[in-house]
Amino acid sequence: MTLFIGSLQLGLLYGVMVLGIYISFRILNIPDLTAEGSFTLGLAVSAACTLSGHPFLGLLAAMAAGSLAGSFTGFLHTCLGIHPVLTGILTMSGLYSVNMLVLGGTPNLALMGRDTLFSLAVSAGAGLDKEMTRLCVALAAAGLSAAVLAWFFRTRLGLYIRATGDNGDMVRASSIHEKRMKLIALALSNGLTALCGGLIAQYQSFADISSGVGTLVVGLASVIIGEALLGRRSVTLGLCSSILGSVVYRYIIAVATRADWFPAYMLKLVSALIVTLALALPALGTMTETYRIRRQGRTAVCISGTGMETAQRPYGPAAGRGGRHNGIHA
Amino acid sequence: MAYMLEIRSACKCFGKGTVNEHTALNNLNLTLEPGEFVTVLGSNGSGKSTLFNAISGTFLLDSGRILLDGEDITFLPEHKRARNIGRLFQDPMKGTAPSLTIEENLALACSKKKKSSFSQALGRKDREYFRQELERFGMDLENRMKTRVGLLSGGQRQVVTLLMSTLVPPRLLLLDEHTAALDPATAGKVMDITCGIVDRYRITTLMITHNMQQALETGTRTIMLDSGRILLDMDQTRRRELTVDKLRELYVSAQV
Repeated sequence: MTLFIGSLQLGLLYGVMVLGIYISFRILNIPDLTAEGSFTLGLAVSAACTLSGHPFLGLLAAMAAGSLAGSFTGFLHTCLGIHPVLTGILTMSGLYSVNMLVLGGTPNLALMGRDTLFSLAVSAGAGLDKEMTRLCVALAAAGLSAAVLAWFFRTRLGLYIRATGDNGDMVRASSIHEKRMKLIALALSNGLTALCGGLIAQYQSFADISSGVGTLVVGLASVIIGEALLGRRSVTLGLCSSILGSVVYRYIIAVATRADWFPAYMLKLVSALIVTLALALPALGTMTETYRIRRQGRTAVCISGTGMETAQRPYGPAAGRGGRHNGIHA
Repeated sequence: MAYMLEIRSACKCFGKGTVNEHTALNNLNLTLEPGEFVTVLGSNGSGKSTLFNAISGTFLLDSGRILLDGEDITFLPEHKRARNIGRLFQDPMKGTAPSLTIEENLALACSKKKKSSFSQALGRKDREYFRQELERFGMDLENRMKTRVGLLSGGQRQVVTLLMSTLVPPRLLLLDEHTAALDPATAGKVMDITCGIVDRYRITTLMITHNMQQALETGTRTIMLDSGRILLDMDQTRRRELTVDKLRELYVSAQV
């Protein structure tokens, strides 16, 4: 039961980060590696603020710091013309130092005994079970983020951002300021990722410099799992499926570790494999289709090998010489 | 007389100082009166597309001025010019966002006039308006407003693009061979729709085409470009005297 609720809590909290990945990966069409750094940045900022007694401020500051990191990536990409994947790597690498700085030069920070969003909610929660209260907080965080984003992507600005990721040619020739849209979307994406980091720091009362490793892959895996379950029809559905995907991902991990299929350190490899497989599915589909058609074609030739040769000739090279070439040049 | 578009001694040279140096616009002058529909002819590399790119601000001119409706837009960035200039490309994929629905694409174009960035992009009134506008074309698009544009045919996409760039009538409409990628029947239909819209709002229009017949029959004036200059400028009376054969002769003599 604790495993059930615990995974649900984690799934919902990480869902906030998955929303951020959904924005950069699916809406903006950029696999943004900044997420790895901005997650830890949010974690560090939130932990530092919580340590000095300001958990709420910590979440806001985490989000602001993440947005700033995203804006920086956006600036490198749009204004300085650096490849989007490389800009993410650059920001992520630079952020490692920043994160260490925020954590006060130590690789980890414990928040035991400090007031966090979750401990405050538990003490304020009237009569509710401790774990249930924490679940409610997680649910509120994920639900609120998804609701705000669903609203946002229906506004004029939201529509502009969606168009920017969808058809750059069109946006460049229109009155939409393409660079600004990319910048806003990257800031929003990393703001959410950092907010998630901030929530996680307070949830586990612990911040570690290496928490962000693999964030992007976990996020992508969750987005893809969600889409496999709910489909890809609209943005609102995409946001919901991202959160669902995140929860399912945590359950997969919980079951896998519980059943002792593999040790915990294998998780990143498994996540990477899930993502690889999901991204390769369309190509694999084409391959099997081509194989099927070829095999069918070969069997057909074998069957018609005795008497059908003359009947097939009109489509063969003899007729093709005149007719087909004219067709191409016309 | 106030001109809608005025281009004064426009020069654009690509790859200056290299072996590939190419003068795309060579001291080009062009003025368009409000409501004029000008067809543009010219062989490949004559500077037609460069002219369009310069007008819409894809790059800045090396020298010269561009005035739109009396306003100097020579140094205005592309997206600011786009508020007053509608543009259609040959490639139907270029003008619409494929994973957005028809109504969302139209809202994208329509919301130019709305003010707040955080207002809802699609209201009931917008939908009704789009439906009315789409009904005019008789392509059954009004009943598919929630369809993703990526699922439409090239002709349908081009019609949606056309509506997008004229929903808020622009001061200038640039058509860059916008029917060239379509089959003859669809091309004819899209051309009819284009002329209908241009007539209705009396939009000043420049249209590139390689079809000489079409160039002479459509619009009110025809210009022919060669090596970055205007070689021929024919008004309605001169166009009437001209046949496609005569025009082809002029074309060939220009090449020599």
